[in-house]
Amino acid sequence: MKRTTVLLSLLLSLVLVAAACSDDDAGTTTTAAAESPATTTAEEAPATTQAAPATTQAAPIEPPDPILIGAIHPLTGGLAGAGNRMDNGARMAVDEINAAGGIASLGGAPLELVSADSTGAAEVGVSEAERLIGDGVSALIGTYQSGVTLPVAAVAERDGVPLVIDVAVDDSILDQGYTYTFRIQPNATSMGTNGAKFLSELGGDEIKTVAYLHDDTAFGVSVSEAFTAAAAALGIEVITDIPYAPFSVTDLTTEMAQAAAGSPDVIVVTGYYGDGLLAARAATDLEVDVKAIVGIAQGAFHTPQFVEDFGADSELFFNSNYHFNSSDPIVAGILERFEATFDDAMDTEAMLAYQAIYVIADALERAGSSDPADVQAALATTNIADHFLAYPGPITFDDTGENINAEPVLMQVVDGAVQQVFPAELRETDPVFPGTPWGG
Amino acid sequence: MRGRSRTAIWAGLAVVVAVAVPQTAWWDLNHTVFAQAVVSGLLIGGVYSLVAMGLSLVFGVLDIINFAHGALMTITIYVSYLLFQNYGVDPYVSLVVTIPLMFVVGVGIQRFAINPVMDAPVHNQLLLTLGIAIIIENLALVLFTGTPRSIELAYARNEFDLGVVTLDFPLRVFGAVVSLPKLIAFLVALLLAGVLYLLIQRTQLGAAIRASAQEPEGAELVGIDVRRIYMVTFGIGAACVGAAGSLVLPFLFVAPTAGATFTIIAFVVVVLGGMGSIPGALVGGLVIGLTQELTQLFVPGSKFLGVFIVFLAVLLFRPEGIFGKAQR
Repeated sequence: MKRTTVLLSLLLSLVLVAAACSDDDAGTTTTAAAESPATTTAEEAPATTQAAPATTQAAPIEPPDPILIGAIHPLTGGLAGAGNRMDNGARMAVDEINAAGGIASLGGAPLELVSADSTGAAEVGVSEAERLIGDGVSALIGTYQSGVTLPVAAVAERDGVPLVIDVAVDDSILDQGYTYTFRIQPNATSMGTNGAKFLSELGGDEIKTVAYLHDDTAFGVSVSEAFTAAAAALGIEVITDIPYAPFSVTDLTTEMAQAAAGSPDVIVVTGYYGDGLLAARAATDLEVDVKAIVGIAQGAFHTPQFVEDFGADSELFFNSNYHFNSSDPIVAGILERFEATFDDAMDTEAMLAYQAIYVIADALERAGSSDPADVQAALATTNIADHFLAYPGPITFDDTGENINAEPVLMQVVDGAVQQVFPAELRETDPVFPGTPWGG
Repeated sequence: MRGRSRTAIWAGLAVVVAVAVPQTAWWDLNHTVFAQAVVSGLLIGGVYSLVAMGLSLVFGVLDIINFAHGALMTITIYVSYLLFQNYGVDPYVSLVVTIPLMFVVGVGIQRFAINPVMDAPVHNQLLLTLGIAIIIENLALVLFTGTPRSIELAYARNEFDLGVVTLDFPLRVFGAVVSLPKLIAFLVALLLAGVLYLLIQRTQLGAAIRASAQEPEGAELVGIDVRRIYMVTFGIGAACVGAAGSLVLPFLFVAPTAGATFTIIAFVVVVLGGMGSIPGALVGGLVIGLTQELTQLFVPGSKFLGVFIVFLAVLLFRPEGIFGKAQR
């Protein structure tokens, strides 16, 4: 009798925890607690306002109210690493803009970042977006995950507050006819088509077949579908398609063996950092007989941390992904300042969050208003040429809110460093193909 | 009534299988891939066994459902990682630190947190352990950030001359690859299972633990300090999962949620093997490991589908588990 009760409650709680884990690991209940430190740090921002009023001495009017910008990222849970780096990137941009005098057209009004934790779960992301909008933010940035961004964009549209997507790839987010959502990064179609194009340029006739290993969330599914369609048009066939659950796998050896079983020319991987590492390890252990391992929008293979942690085994891995413009000295300065401030290497995700704040600041400057509707109108006519990303043109949004110049670059780990190899005009070194650390 | 619901469940399972199997080309399975699934399943299953043993012991003896089990594993993953990064201590050598450390942590948790609620309703105890898990995970997040980190063993891909035979890692068994860190984790897990079994079955402490599990009041009457036995038992459970943490580090990664991944699987293993049964946890772990990898072969991307079908089937048809004793 007692055992039955225990078993029933065990089963019930397992289901509850499993539900929480499907998006994130047990972080859900911690939102309120985890958030308070973040908001405390946000309150430090007004410290810089004290520096700003130096210019307003002549006219002793009150310093302008700070303009609130909301940032929603996964600050706890399985994606907390990337989420916190992105939040730091946004915070650094806000501090720099304030130090440079705030928004001039608004009387030097400073920006204030209000950080929120999505915990990686869609429903938490939505409630946090509603809270931030209630707090009176002029714009939102976020959210790193397609599954969270999709409903948050719906909230932004409903309440008429612009959302600038720093990272989230799924096309369908902007397929809804929203006017308040703008995306800086390449969408899934751009990721998939450009990835296929790079493969065809890289291998020519040597790449005819591909095995695709990808995470089973909206992210991996949308990118792999876009790739498969674009590759078919270029005569490249996806012969094996293997999805996996990115937050619960502890080993991908069987999956990698399945991918290699059809003797593909190339194995393509899409996913986040931890699962990418497991995939790389499995490929290395198996010494899969392919011409290259290529990430497409893969969260690990183009990061300095991958090279550092995976060591010599990281050599020759490819990744087609968004990237900061590593040949730009201004970008080099940003990377240095980030490293000095947070004692952590800045990645492209953090750069995109940093960029998102500059895009909003530019819109505020041109709008001369912090009213969300005016900011939206200004965002729609954005044209920023001096941005920090490896794109072929300025940041400028089409009618749906996509950045028309958002394209990935193909990178490869060569001589122990992540280097750009395609397109030719951004090339830092010649690609090594065919190339695997264990093969010929 | 009972018979009819069982029939309905069997029918349900049959439908799942009938829908899932034709979607996969299971008949033209590649032999190497099959061998890999079996090998990977057994190797990861060994780790599941070790994690589940601690959980099973705590459940069987204390009747406590410990949701902090995976979080305890996270602690040792970090301890071993820090020892490796800062002092170059091999993760396997760090077992000497992590096992006693987690024993002490376990005793402390039982003494100060769980002993006071031993007589409380089961959901209170459950929330308490869940709370401990959340505290540990978020502490790790504050201290080490959420960035996943990893280490690579310098000798993981070496040749070892054992005199009789030279082993060239990663080994090949029927075309399947066996990596050194996973093999070591598997073997050490089996060894620790043996040690734990002997401890429970052949020592005086083991007898006291078994007595406290079966008849706490009777044990008290013959002079066993049951509260102390509870502390020691929780300590042993934590030490098991602590060992698992050090063992998985070289083939997993470090992150605040790294250990939590194992919690759910460990519960399934405990239910499958039978609450409190060490051999049950061992066999259960291997079965679940195999189930997971073989499901991946037939239904790619749904590794855990098979695991939870097994879980539900066990709960419905043999709730006492393979090695458990019927309660009524």
